[in-house]
Amino acid sequence: MKKIFFLLVTALCMQGAFAQEHGIFIISYPIAFPAGNLSDYISNTSFRGINLEFGKEVKPNLIAEIETGWNVFYQEQPDQVYTEGTASISGKQFRYTNSVPILAGAKWILKSKNNLVPYAGLGLGTMYSDRSTDFGLYRISTDAWQFCLRPELGITFKSRAGPSAMLGVKYYASFNSSDLDGQSFFTVNIGVVFPYGL
Amino acid sequence: MAIKLSRLLVILSLVLISGCYPNGAEFIDDIDLVYTNYSNQFGFSSKQTYAIPDSVIKITGDIFNDPDGDHKPSFLSASSAAVILDRINQNMLDYGWQRVSKNANPDVILLVSSVTTTNIYYYYDWWYWGWYYPGFYPGWGWYYPGYYPPYVTGYRSGSVLVQMVDAKAVAAGVESVPVVWTCILNGLAEGGTSSIAPRVQTGIDKAFAQSPYLKH
Repeated sequence: MKKIFFLLVTALCMQGAFAQEHGIFIISYPIAFPAGNLSDYISNTSFRGINLEFGKEVKPNLIAEIETGWNVFYQEQPDQVYTEGTASISGKQFRYTNSVPILAGAKWILKSKNNLVPYAGLGLGTMYSDRSTDFGLYRISTDAWQFCLRPELGITFKSRAGPSAMLGVKYYASFNSSDLDGQSFFTVNIGVVFPYGL
Repeated sequence: MAIKLSRLLVILSLVLISGCYPNGAEFIDDIDLVYTNYSNQFGFSSKQTYAIPDSVIKITGDIFNDPDGDHKPSFLSASSAAVILDRINQNMLDYGWQRVSKNANPDVILLVSSVTTTNIYYYYDWWYWGWYYPGFYPGWGWYYPGYYPPYVTGYRSGSVLVQMVDAKAVAAGVESVPVVWTCILNGLAEGGTSSIAPRVQTGIDKAFAQSPYLKH
């Protein structure tokens, strides 16, 4: 929790530095679908999350940005037996994964003739994943900072000068680390784009 | 205006995030665990008879607790012991074992014990009084046994342990006994006998269900 608050406060302060430039602030709600090793552990879709991006226009149609967010994955595993060798243990498991991406990247605004403006983006950085399993009175936790690559595609709906709505798809490709295999997932984001400096 | 609104939204997101926590265990029996382990060198199918005492030992923190000087450890109450032992006997019978007295040369012996732990959470430190009397530093202990601060929160957890011992393998002069099957039930010891008894019985049934090698 502390790390996330620190990140958000940093993002908040950095926004002041961009005040004289043209840029965007995006806040969106991600619906996350686990992939790879994460989906072996938790297959449920995550409806708990938030995503924040700050971008600065460096050229017409090119925005440099930083992104952070938080996605919570949860699954209740019914009572079942887990066996390893001669030892067996049975009970209910409550599985949690908290994922926080911290990325820097760019967005390319693509040409459009009408109000719908598509964009494509690529980010890279790190993904912090915290996996906890509650089993009986015990909690088994592992966490990892993993290298993350994030391509995205989306569309903004611009009806007038000022904020516009956005809909996008992102794929967070996290790579294996020593403690955990890559915790990858993709998200569908619905949000608002706030331009500033215009 | 656009800048002020986005600052507000970042602050709002900080508030929203703190409320974003999914549920976990809701009922006491969500936290029950059953653990079993066995020796795969032991031929369970060739053993037919077992003996089991009529009482369940209560494990305490003492090395050897003999409160009334009768050379026996402390035991669980007869009614609580009956809940556990009857269920074990029923499962053994269902699996084709025959109960005999300890003097009738049983193949294995079952030993049952239980332990409860009360976990209390509180914090109290001499440093709290350092402003009043200079020289009280953090980390000092109590010198004179005094009252304990009221506890902030606590819970009781308990375990029932069942060990199956190879009665024929007790060699002369060897001071250890081989355990061929072990079972531990663990969970919250809250809620009174009427709530704990069915959970213990379910746990014993599960322990036998996950030990099919005991079946004849």
